[in-house]
Amino acid sequence: MTDKQTDNAVQTTGHAWDGDLQEFNNPLPRWWIWAFYASVAFALIYWILYPVWPVGHDYTKGVLKVSYESNGKTVTRHWNTRAKYIEDMQTGEESLKQKAYLDKVVNASYAAILSDPDMMAFTRSIGKGLFGDNCAACHGSGGNGVIGKFPNLVDDSWLWGGTVEDIHATISNGHRGFMPAFRETLNEEELDEVANYVLSLSGQAVDATKVAAGDKIFNGQKGGCHFCHTHQATGLKSVGSANLTDAVWTIADVPHAADPRHKLEAVKAVIRNGVQREMPTWKTRLSPEQIKLLTVYVHELGGGK
Amino acid sequence: MAHASRIAAEQYNYDIVKKFAIMALVWGVFGMSVGTWIASELAFPILNFDIPQITFGRFRPVHTTSVIFGFGGNALFATSYYVVQRTCQARLYGDLLPKFTFWGWQLALLIGVVGYMNGITQAREYAEFEWPVDLLIAVVWVAYAFIFVQTLRRRSQPHIYVANWFYMAFILATALLHIFNNLAVPVNLFSMKSYSLFSGVQDAMTQWWYGHNAVGFFLTAAFLGMMYYFVPKQAGRPIYSYRLSIVHFWALSFMYMWVGAHHLHWTALPDWTSSLAATFSIMLLMPSWGGMINGIMTLSGAWDKLRSDPIMLFLIASLSFYGMSTFEGPLMSLKSVNALSHYTDWTVGHVHSGALGWVAMVSFGSLYHMIPRLYDTRLWSQRLVYVHFWLATIGIVLYITSMWVSGIGQGLMLRAFDDFGNLAYTFIETVTFMHWPLAARALGGVFFVSGILVMVFNIAMTIRTAHQEQAAIDAKIAAKLARANA
Repeated sequence: MTDKQTDNAVQTTGHAWDGDLQEFNNPLPRWWIWAFYASVAFALIYWILYPVWPVGHDYTKGVLKVSYESNGKTVTRHWNTRAKYIEDMQTGEESLKQKAYLDKVVNASYAAILSDPDMMAFTRSIGKGLFGDNCAACHGSGGNGVIGKFPNLVDDSWLWGGTVEDIHATISNGHRGFMPAFRETLNEEELDEVANYVLSLSGQAVDATKVAAGDKIFNGQKGGCHFCHTHQATGLKSVGSANLTDAVWTIADVPHAADPRHKLEAVKAVIRNGVQREMPTWKTRLSPEQIKLLTVYVHELGGGK
Repeated sequence: MAHASRIAAEQYNYDIVKKFAIMALVWGVFGMSVGTWIASELAFPILNFDIPQITFGRFRPVHTTSVIFGFGGNALFATSYYVVQRTCQARLYGDLLPKFTFWGWQLALLIGVVGYMNGITQAREYAEFEWPVDLLIAVVWVAYAFIFVQTLRRRSQPHIYVANWFYMAFILATALLHIFNNLAVPVNLFSMKSYSLFSGVQDAMTQWWYGHNAVGFFLTAAFLGMMYYFVPKQAGRPIYSYRLSIVHFWALSFMYMWVGAHHLHWTALPDWTSSLAATFSIMLLMPSWGGMINGIMTLSGAWDKLRSDPIMLFLIASLSFYGMSTFEGPLMSLKSVNALSHYTDWTVGHVHSGALGWVAMVSFGSLYHMIPRLYDTRLWSQRLVYVHFWLATIGIVLYITSMWVSGIGQGLMLRAFDDFGNLAYTFIETVTFMHWPLAARALGGVFFVSGILVMVFNIAMTIRTAHQEQAAIDAKIAAKLARANA
């Protein structure tokens, strides 16, 4: 072929541009033209099978059909992605597998789910995805949370309660975690005293005289901390106030503070500035089934109550 | 030779070609560097530095605009003004008007890019320019079309060379696309903000009709025009088939306009638009390949040039990447493949096999051929062209393969089920998986940018040498004249 071209100069169109620009007049490569016809044939078959051409305000429907169940009746439609999706969700292999488990879990009580290894294995599997795609952005993919910002879900301390009912309510409705700022109410000295008292509650080394003064503020009218945290300082589930006696810290990063002075500063900062946290409402975004599954998943994360 | 080219320089307007060619390199270095930066941001988000202007969302249109319209656009202006003059053997129409297209184009790009960094954008992919810039571009484009047509009318031969058909198709289609996709109502006369005339799914359809034909006519047809001149010129051989060029030109022009909706598979788009686009995409494969066949077969009988001519390497490699990405495109436009590939890095890899492999490589080859001729000299270093070629090729291969891994990998993860019929992976797990492919892609970008920097150095030295040669000749002539007069 090469030789034919080079030797046979009459094959050019006879035009020349810019000195030496010429064109051979080779025929269209046969494989090229047949491949093009093949692609046209492909298109023609496609046009017979699927909706393709607009006609007036309508379009050609194609001969392929999709069937699915709707209100107990079988509905048949021309091929379209929406029907295809419904069909797949109703009869797809993976869908059916998932559906068998879902039906079981949705109809079981929390107690029944928690005691059934098979249902729990399913819940762990689907919960990982639900938690990963919805909750992990704040709580972390392992549920460890971020001290100061987002609660840790893997310890067994629960601000808003750790029973399945409590967790269900928390996910469904969300919460607003609030503690007022005391910077206007207490002076620096008083903040110091209350912080000493708070640290003493979980057995941290502190200044005994300041603890006594802090106790007065905490449990008296001046600070009024006991209204939410209670006189025993074990917190109240109804307002989501923290238990200050269990050495579990969600806002003040006491465990990671370098020395007693920094621990004190961390606690003081929380009392001074207060807390404002929000967990959004999920019942408008997730289905009841999803919330139920997540409830079990989160309950298991922290060894719920 | 110096004498001949002085005549050429008077016969042809080379000044404007030089301007555009140099700006192509300037925008190329800038746009590709920004691209490498944002690629690195995706792998290592700390590189955002919390500076809003350089975060991925702001910087990405800066990258796309700089490389498509800055590098690609300037290269097209340069080569089309060069090719139309040489193949018509006529000087470019007008004197001020071509200058206006130059300054207007650079100004539009500059306003656009600075605007994007500060959040001024229409948020239409590849059409982010806000309305005042759109108007400027429209005027520049009409001037461009007028100059091109007027120059064609001045041609000294009856037939119009094939490269010019492609440039002409590119100019006309781009005008059409630009105007219709940018129909928008400004909030008020003194505001940059505007709202599209279309809404909802029609807006999406219009945008992707534009988006895909920008690929079709700006990044394909126009660069085929470039190919049709520079490949036979560099090879010193006639185009393989005149017939093929006619058939694939019209087939390409006809088929492209239908396929935009394949960017919107599995969305709220009516199903019929989607399948119509898919079938036309399949039928587009052979017309696209027509250009590749014509280019590569032009070299048949002169394959040995690949061993001795690095410019030819660029041109032939570009055609190979062109063939590969125009095969991959129709494949990805099938709904079943698209269900896997869409919204993943596979798309990004596909675009870059076309953008780096085809558009950039054919432009590099053409500029290497053209710039020494504009300055009537030789390339300063052939060896550096080889270095550039290998840097670019390694960069592209790293880029495409890492995006295949990242994109197909993520696509498969997103549709994987476990034993319970549940999705096996969370979204964030797919992102974690993509980290190393994304890092490899950024490295590919570093190679590619290094390549164009080598080219800029080589071209700068070429131009410097040309000026020195010119000065030496001028001195000789002056000496001769002085002796003659003495």
